[in-house]
Amino acid sequence: MVKKFEISNNIRKLRFFANEMTQQDLAEKVGVSRQTIIAIEAGKYSPTLELAFRIADVFGVGIGEVFQCELKGE
Amino acid sequence: MSYQEKRTLASIFSGILILAAYCIYAFNPTRLAALTPDDLKPWASTMLIFIGIGIVATIVIQIVFHILLSISLAVQTKIRNMESDDKEIERSIQLEMVEDERDRQIELKSQRIGFAIAGIGFVAGLLSLVFNYSPVVMLNILYLSFSAGSILEGFGQLYFYRRGA
Repeated sequence: MVKKFEISNNIRKLRFFANEMTQQDLAEKVGVSRQTIIAIEAGKYSPTLELAFRIADVFGVGIGEVFQCELKGE
Repeated sequence: MSYQEKRTLASIFSGILILAAYCIYAFNPTRLAALTPDDLKPWASTMLIFIGIGIVATIVIQIVFHILLSISLAVQTKIRNMESDDKEIERSIQLEMVEDERDRQIELKSQRIGFAIAGIGFVAGLLSLVFNYSPVVMLNILYLSFSAGSILEGFGQLYFYRRGA
């Protein structure tokens, strides 16, 4: 049986440490709408690998520092 | 409410409007009395006309919606900053109307709802023939299920925007 992963992220924290970058600023930098950033931050949407890399690139960190996944149902 | 949700509401509104107009016109008792039960031609031409009206109405409603949205965004930008110029207003409109991968994913997911409803309608139409109903009933089931599918697709989109894709 395929194990279920729950993806979480540190975007809010990273935005705070990036001089309190707004969701709109981040959205413009990665080329998506502010609603998409809100949905990703709230865990309601899992971005594609490309968008995940672009978000990590904006903060200058590795993708693993932005997104984490936890094994569920173990 | 986001731009995408407002746009979806506009398309749901146009879908409901056209469906209601079809039902009022096509199932008018005076019109029905003048038709013979198995004459498909008037039904086919009515449906073709309403498909045409539907396409035109959807385009017009979307154009009107985008004009109104642009005006409201321009006013909001001016209220926030009285010294904002045309470029800033244009930028705020472009930022609001961004379409991205999440929109495409939601569109694909909601299209499945539309296809499912249309598919159920097709099967129901075939069943109506099997159970000896008039071909007019089958035609109407097909038309109404396609229309309902497109409206429910819009509601599906709203659901995915609210609850997450």
